[in-house]
Amino acid sequence: MSGRLSRGGLVPYLFVLPGLAVLGVWLVFPLVSALQMSLHDWDIVPGSKSPFVGLDHYAQLVSDPLLLSTLANTVAYVIVTVAGQLALGLAAALGLESVRRGRVLLRTLYFVPVVTSWVVAALMFRYLFNSSSAGMVNHLLVSVLGIVGRPVPWLNEAGTAFIAIFALGIWKGVGFAMVLFIAALQAIPEELYDAAAIDGASRRRAIRSVTLPLLAPTIVMTAVMLTIGAFQVFIPVALITGGGPVHRTEVILTYLYDVAFRQLDFGYAGAISFALAGLVFAISQIQLRFMRQSALAG
Amino acid sequence: MRKDFVPRRQTRRPRLGLVAVYAALVLGVAVTVFPLLYMASTSLKDQVYVLEVPPQLLPTNPTLDNFGAAWTSNHFSRYFLNSSIVALVTMALVLLLGSMMAHGLARYRFRGHRLVRALILFFMVMPAMSLLVPQFVLATRLGLLDSLAGVAIVHIAQGLPLATFILYGFMIGLPRELYEAALVDGAGAWRMYRSIALPLCRPALATVAILAFLGSWDEYVWALTIINSADQRTLPVGIAAFQGVHTSNWGLIFAASMIAVTPVIVLFALLQRHVIRGLTAGALKG
Amino acid sequence: MSQLRSAPGATWIILALIVAACGSSGQTGQPTPSSNSTASPNPTSKPSPAETVTINFWHNYNEDSPENEVLVNKLIPQFEDTHPGIKVVPLTIPYPDFRRKLITSISGGNAPDVIRIDATWVPEFADMGALVALDQEMSEFAALKATVYPGPLGSNLWKDHYYGLPLDTNTKVWIYNDSLYSAAGISSAPATIGDLDGLCANLKKANPDSYMLGLESTQGWVMLPWIWSSGGEITDEAITTASGYLNGPKTVGAYETLLRLYDQGCIAPLILGDGVDAFSGIGQGLYASLDNGPWTYPIVAGAHPELKLTAALFPAGAAGSIDIVGGQDVNVLTQSAHKAEALEFVRFLVGSDFQLAMGGVGVIPVRQDLDVSSLVASQPYMSVFFDQLKTARARLAHPGWSDMDRILTDAGQLILRHEQSPQAALDDAATKINEILGD
Repeated sequence: MSGRLSRGGLVPYLFVLPGLAVLGVWLVFPLVSALQMSLHDWDIVPGSKSPFVGLDHYAQLVSDPLLLSTLANTVAYVIVTVAGQLALGLAAALGLESVRRGRVLLRTLYFVPVVTSWVVAALMFRYLFNSSSAGMVNHLLVSVLGIVGRPVPWLNEAGTAFIAIFALGIWKGVGFAMVLFIAALQAIPEELYDAAAIDGASRRRAIRSVTLPLLAPTIVMTAVMLTIGAFQVFIPVALITGGGPVHRTEVILTYLYDVAFRQLDFGYAGAISFALAGLVFAISQIQLRFMRQSALAG
Repeated sequence: MRKDFVPRRQTRRPRLGLVAVYAALVLGVAVTVFPLLYMASTSLKDQVYVLEVPPQLLPTNPTLDNFGAAWTSNHFSRYFLNSSIVALVTMALVLLLGSMMAHGLARYRFRGHRLVRALILFFMVMPAMSLLVPQFVLATRLGLLDSLAGVAIVHIAQGLPLATFILYGFMIGLPRELYEAALVDGAGAWRMYRSIALPLCRPALATVAILAFLGSWDEYVWALTIINSADQRTLPVGIAAFQGVHTSNWGLIFAASMIAVTPVIVLFALLQRHVIRGLTAGALKG
Repeated sequence: MSQLRSAPGATWIILALIVAACGSSGQTGQPTPSSNSTASPNPTSKPSPAETVTINFWHNYNEDSPENEVLVNKLIPQFEDTHPGIKVVPLTIPYPDFRRKLITSISGGNAPDVIRIDATWVPEFADMGALVALDQEMSEFAALKATVYPGPLGSNLWKDHYYGLPLDTNTKVWIYNDSLYSAAGISSAPATIGDLDGLCANLKKANPDSYMLGLESTQGWVMLPWIWSSGGEITDEAITTASGYLNGPKTVGAYETLLRLYDQGCIAPLILGDGVDAFSGIGQGLYASLDNGPWTYPIVAGAHPELKLTAALFPAGAAGSIDIVGGQDVNVLTQSAHKAEALEFVRFLVGSDFQLAMGGVGVIPVRQDLDVSSLVASQPYMSVFFDQLKTARARLAHPGWSDMDRILTDAGQLILRHEQSPQAALDDAATKINEILGD
């Protein structure tokens, strides 16, 4: 049986304290400050009065139409990019596992976006999706492939801008999901496939009844990690559209940034932060509970 | 131990299937690599060609001027050093402090251990940006403004929760008997941590090291906030700073980006087997 | 992963790295960030704090710009020579980061001494008590006031006090590609806004894929010349209400003109946010004209050295040819511990030496009493800018300007996208702006 041994006296505290000290000073204390800010009409100039407003900022959360639209945008980003990374990552993993030659090279190339910095990636995509005929994506669509008649105004319209932003989110993370799935696939014992073959199962059947169920925990775990990350999307939007046009591509963090640093309303910014943290926490708990239940059922 | 998920049969796998899979994979790689190739191509273009109509994949009159300009301007070579120092320090301290915390939580049952675990879970989901202003005020009061130490300490704090979570997941699975045997041998607490827990967690440590390093290397918002002087900038901040007030010199920006990204890619290509193994082992167990 | 086998070894490496990190920061934990220096070439002479006062000066001259070079290599040394005991440490902060840096430093109690900021920010920072009222601290202020252009000076006025002085100013003019015009049979720049339809038609005939005008956005900076020249306004003079002004007939008329020109393909889609930027555009012949500032010339010349650009006054509307004044002001922070020395530096910055030296690198001086003939001789297009400056107006000096600009920008976008009629969009905008003014 694994598990803990004794209470240990002072010893466990010695192990835990250094890390806890860092967390305490640099995360917990700022968290408390942020909480305090969120309850006041916080004035940035030190020494000036910041009147207490109680839960006003939190009430403001529900009546702020811009916040609700940024929430919708963020949720859309999460759903599309997480689904995309899972699906394409799984496809790539399955594909790589069924070939022999060139596997390592392909795997390395697929992983390169993961080690590319977000800033560089965002700038790259912004340049690629330039809204005029000087943009490479437009050039490919119009002149090379002939799919579209005129250049698409990618970043000038919210709908098409989202395509660029979602594409970046998926592009960046497929390799990561793929690698996790490859490892999980390799962990599936051969005997199960042998048994399925003996039972006369076709390839597709084998995937459905052997591969996918055993991959399920990994899929859910990956989904949770990707979801937590996706809710915190900032750089892609900030560097590609800046939240425009007309704030239609704003996500929660770009909005938070605007409230804090352009409108200088740190109180409201604090309230938004806590709300976002609570939301992501709740969603991840739901996802994990789903995993536990499906593990029990399967 | 190479496994083939296709169940074995008497008949051979149809060739068409393999060709189709290869085609799809190569197409996928092409799409994946294309943006980077185009960026490389643009970095060789003079400003005149950067937004020309129609855009050219291969640069007309390629030039290395952008690279020269990027490297020499704005202390760019310094940015590399800064990012490396911060990322390495972050990685080292996250490994050390995270593994110690994970060990303390996994091996001992002490008062408050539930609170610590809850804290770790909470900070894994709390958006880092919301703590930006209070962290900044604190860093300033502690004299860490405009210093690499200021950048690193928050990177460490940001990396600790996930690291501890992953390592805890690993360590909790270690069998009790190992520790009991060590106790019988007269091993002290630190020996048990150092000689039992750590070595057995090697894959997870590798995961944590990679995630902490990349997380710090890539981090933008905090570095941007705490650093004032150009010679203290980290790479992401430095690259973003190439965007001009009136216009963006894409050739220059991408030359800088190439300089920033290539070493990481090369390093990864050399170590990729270890990286991927480390990444998956730790993450899967968790 | 064998490197983790030896914990003590790893610990030493970690400690070494930490020491390296702390050492390379140049910061030893003192509360005053006086040891930051991006540009001073020799840090060897560090006098004791008792003797020398250090002034931190934050600006956003691009690091490898001629302005920064003149500042660092010529002007600051000149100041320090004539003012022994004062050391000036300049810091470049890129424009997108400037505001946030300033805010976080003020709130961290760590503000610099002197700043050069966008003129539109002054009322806001004055209102929060971050800036020193120069008319109260400088005895010669009244005399200084008289020497600078009134437009730029006005941006520093808030609640009857001047919280800064203009440092440099600029305006925009109609810059065009003469050869494209001639090829379309047009011999001169458009004199009035009414001429633009004809200009556009001719240009389109000669070159259907190009645009007459490349405007960058619907922000105030771009729209106000059209509004003002047409006789429109954003608010009344006392800045108390936008009703009847922003949504008044003249302003609506200005937007209707812009919309018509846009629909006819005279204005490039860049105005919606993204596309080929103004300078690449005019360089490639995609845009025939721009309404832009003096920086256009060096930027375009950098990529297209053989292209000749001509400057002319902004086309006149019913109220004349009125373009917009931009520029930066210089201010002293209330948090500064060395106000006297900071003021000395400010005097230097608005002094004729500084102004003329900067003028030599394309920065328009703010003083009316300077002899600018040498500037004009070396950069002939400058004479058009000086002319335009005579009638150019500054944006509203109000702490809420950045919010108002946002509202204005959004309204312009909705109009151009045909999502709202000009009247409806401006009605909405006026209502929102009134809310800000009411605070």
